[in-house]
Amino acid sequence: MAEIRTEELLMNIGPQHPSTHGVLRVVVKVDGEIIKEAEPVVGYLHRGTEKLAEDLQYTQIIPYTDRMDYLSSMVNNHAIVTAVEHAMDLEVPERAEHLRVIVVELNRLMSHLVFLGTYLLDLGAMSPFLYAFANRERVVDYFNRLCGARLTYNYMRVGGVKWDAPDGWIEDVKTFVPHMRKELDMLHDLVTGNEIFLNRVKGIGVYDTDYALSLGLSGINLRCTGFNWDLRKNKPYSIYDRFDFDVIVGQNGDCFDRYMCHMKEIVESLKIVEQALEQIPDGPVMGKVPKILRVPAGEYYHAIEGTRGELGVYIVSEGKDKPYRLKFRRPSFINLQVLPDLLRGQTMSNLIAILGAVDIVLGEVDA
Amino acid sequence: MSEETKKPAAATEEAPAPVDPRVEQANAFLEGVRSKIVAAFGDAVIEEAGLAKHQPTLVIQNDKWAEVVDYVKQEPSLAFVYPEAMAGTDYMEKGYIEVYLLVHSFVRAGDLALKVRTPRDEAKVPSVTSTFPGTNWEEREIYDLLGVTFVGHPDLKRIMNTDDWNGHPLRKDYVVQD
Repeated sequence: MAEIRTEELLMNIGPQHPSTHGVLRVVVKVDGEIIKEAEPVVGYLHRGTEKLAEDLQYTQIIPYTDRMDYLSSMVNNHAIVTAVEHAMDLEVPERAEHLRVIVVELNRLMSHLVFLGTYLLDLGAMSPFLYAFANRERVVDYFNRLCGARLTYNYMRVGGVKWDAPDGWIEDVKTFVPHMRKELDMLHDLVTGNEIFLNRVKGIGVYDTDYALSLGLSGINLRCTGFNWDLRKNKPYSIYDRFDFDVIVGQNGDCFDRYMCHMKEIVESLKIVEQALEQIPDGPVMGKVPKILRVPAGEYYHAIEGTRGELGVYIVSEGKDKPYRLKFRRPSFINLQVLPDLLRGQTMSNLIAILGAVDIVLGEVDA
Repeated sequence: MSEETKKPAAATEEAPAPVDPRVEQANAFLEGVRSKIVAAFGDAVIEEAGLAKHQPTLVIQNDKWAEVVDYVKQEPSLAFVYPEAMAGTDYMEKGYIEVYLLVHSFVRAGDLALKVRTPRDEAKVPSVTSTFPGTNWEEREIYDLLGVTFVGHPDLKRIMNTDDWNGHPLRKDYVVQD
């Protein structure tokens, strides 16, 4: 056979490409179908949240966090309010803590459903997306009834939550838990055993624990390697120490394990929601907090287990009502760094499978 | 910043103020790390040591920054192998920019905050990307938003703003452009 002349080609994936889930640009150098080099280019959604926060009071910062990881705004709310409470040593009423845990876990589950739907959509399966979004819609409706917004909730406040659950809300969410368990079984039947799916994700995008730690990966991207690290257990905050749930870890650190971790974490979130709904006491939803929040001078770091990993808030305060410096440790931003190493030597079709499994949200990458 | 100076002045002899066990624990943690670093690099390498709300914090001499960060990772009895967070802050009135790095050790089961300072007008910090590849983008972000040059960084360029952007937005004297 005659020699085939090949040539390296520089290609842009994105920034407007449906499979990048936002405005991510990946510059890839390909030789035929094989990726030689890949460089993610970010910043297209940079709004300067940290700079804006320096001119805002702490309560005013909360709606800005809604827009970082817009698939799990409740979790972001939780990150900023717990950080300020940690710095000011504030107590949160029991009912508010329970409401927070319920909405945070529902939000985690809802975000994982988006992951499931869009990931399968990327891989060419249309129907799981519709099932996942139909179930997600139920949670969106619960949140809408609770705080009047479908995506950007602005629900939590330093010292509690803004609104108590409306009449019948707790009972309705209780009916969702068994419903979601059944739906999840159906989704497993639909997707998990599918041979085409397994061929696309098994043994793809593999890395080990040491590599993940040196990159600072967190959340499912770290746990999929078999490393047990969940801030809800390892650095307990809020009232997570009262609930019985397992930390889901993978084994092989491939795309399939990352998919399975998402699916199993939905079950664990349901467990927590169920227990919190059982235990929720009556009482106030706002603690005694000063009218104007002044964080004592000093610096503070507080992190929670976000949907995508360690979501930390670093506050430098001069004792004023506005932060001197506010930095968000955004898990998507750090997790995305894994991409160049994972893509090297892969085929173009695996690019989508690998990128999708890292599960980033561009609003959080760019902040 | 330091918690240990907050002892109530009027404590009577019979009942000394109970020390917060978290503060005691954090001080022991800090001392354990500090003594190791001092033994390896000498006294001068640590500019400040203290607790920031129970968080053991060390300020490291600028030109030894990369070596110390590498040491706390490689030394088996310390093993701060997990870079958790990195941030930069512009202290305009004090005339320096501070870079903050939070690392976690599973051996010691705790976080350590390491900080390094650099003058504002010629902000330079040795890069720690060879120790922690995960700080690559964090350092780029600090370079972009605060104008700190990380010496030895493999790919130091702006990450959030466009390449032709003027100034560094998170500096306190930054003027917002139209």
